[in-house]
Amino acid sequence: MAMFIYVDLYLIFIELKRISVKLRSVRIKLSEELSEEMKKLKEEIANLKEQFRNVMGGERERRRGIYIDVGDRVHDYVEDMMEGVAEGIHGELEKSIFIGPRGVRILRRKEPHIRRDEVELSFPKAAEVMSALGHEHRLRILDELMSGGKYINELQEKLSEITTSTLSSHLKVLEEAGLVVQEKVRGRYLITMPGRTAYKMARRVTRFVERRNQE
Amino acid sequence: MMWQNYQLGNTVSKTSEVVTLWQMEKGIVEINKNTLAVPIELDDKERGYVFHGDGKFLLDSIVETEEGAIGQPVEKELSELFLMLGDTEEIQKHLTEASEEDLAKMGYQNQQEFADRAKDLCGQFFKKKEVHNHQCFDEHRGFIFAFQNQTSKLDILIAKGSKLVYKAMDIVFVSNENKVVLKSPSEVVCTSNGKSVIIKK
Repeated sequence: MAMFIYVDLYLIFIELKRISVKLRSVRIKLSEELSEEMKKLKEEIANLKEQFRNVMGGERERRRGIYIDVGDRVHDYVEDMMEGVAEGIHGELEKSIFIGPRGVRILRRKEPHIRRDEVELSFPKAAEVMSALGHEHRLRILDELMSGGKYINELQEKLSEITTSTLSSHLKVLEEAGLVVQEKVRGRYLITMPGRTAYKMARRVTRFVERRNQE
Repeated sequence: MMWQNYQLGNTVSKTSEVVTLWQMEKGIVEINKNTLAVPIELDDKERGYVFHGDGKFLLDSIVETEEGAIGQPVEKELSELFLMLGDTEEIQKHLTEASEEDLAKMGYQNQQEFADRAKDLCGQFFKKKEVHNHQCFDEHRGFIFAFQNQTSKLDILIAKGSKLVYKAMDIVFVSNENKVVLKSPSEVVCTSNGKSVIIKK
């Protein structure tokens, strides 16, 4: 009897041992699977976070672009341009300029500076100046005159696609706007101080707009 | 010897064609056909003329700077009396005697009336001036013009070779080859060999 009991206990022990081993292997397997699952979950969370960040970050960038980089600066620039040609010319003449061997020195007036928006804009004059600049051939004439005074036949050579009468009418428009002056004796055309300022402004505005459009 | 010793000639002439009295790169004084002329004499020599007729005076009183051209050209119709001192030799070749009819066309009843007005102009020009003949002016070396302006004062042009000085009511323009000075109501500009000083008033 005792013998049977001992055998039974032994068999139970063996069975428990087998179950224990099996449980351990199951536990290990489950642990590995769980670890794998956790890893996947972590990766998923990381991906979600990244996506979230991208979406929110892009929105912020877009907002920044609208409110700062493009809108205000272009608006300011165009406003400056519209207000500024006649005033810019005036401003240039408000300065004393010394061009010496060591470069250019600008001596400003000692009077208090008047803010640009406090100066009343002459709309007819501004329109006249802007209108004078608003033609490809007139801008090319100014470009040619930037390198020095020229006779009409010299200008005609450079703008060979237009007739002499058309060239003369363009020069007249530029003269009336004060951007060009003609010598009465020799007949050469010279670009004036306001003309140089207006031409430089046209170039700056064009470059600025082109750069913005490319972005 | 003083210019106050001047006297006007007895004969009034007229131009037989267009005559260029003075010309250089920057300016020109030209009178049309039938312009009346009376000589200004000193020591029995003709030193100049007083003219009255039609003509034009052009002066490119423009200064070229690195910042752009400054100034405007002067363009005047010479319909009033004006005075010229300088070389008269070339002018004499283009003069013929003026008739009563020629004088009448310019609004004069006779030669004396024109001579009187010419004398007034000379008086205005030479008034209080002590211009010494041999020191400051030589008939073959330069020209002096005096044009009456709207305020009945005189605009003066002095030219000698490539040098010139023009003083009018609102501008002073001095040019000597590469050196130019322009004084206008709004600014003073001086240039010398490409270097410029611009002073805004």
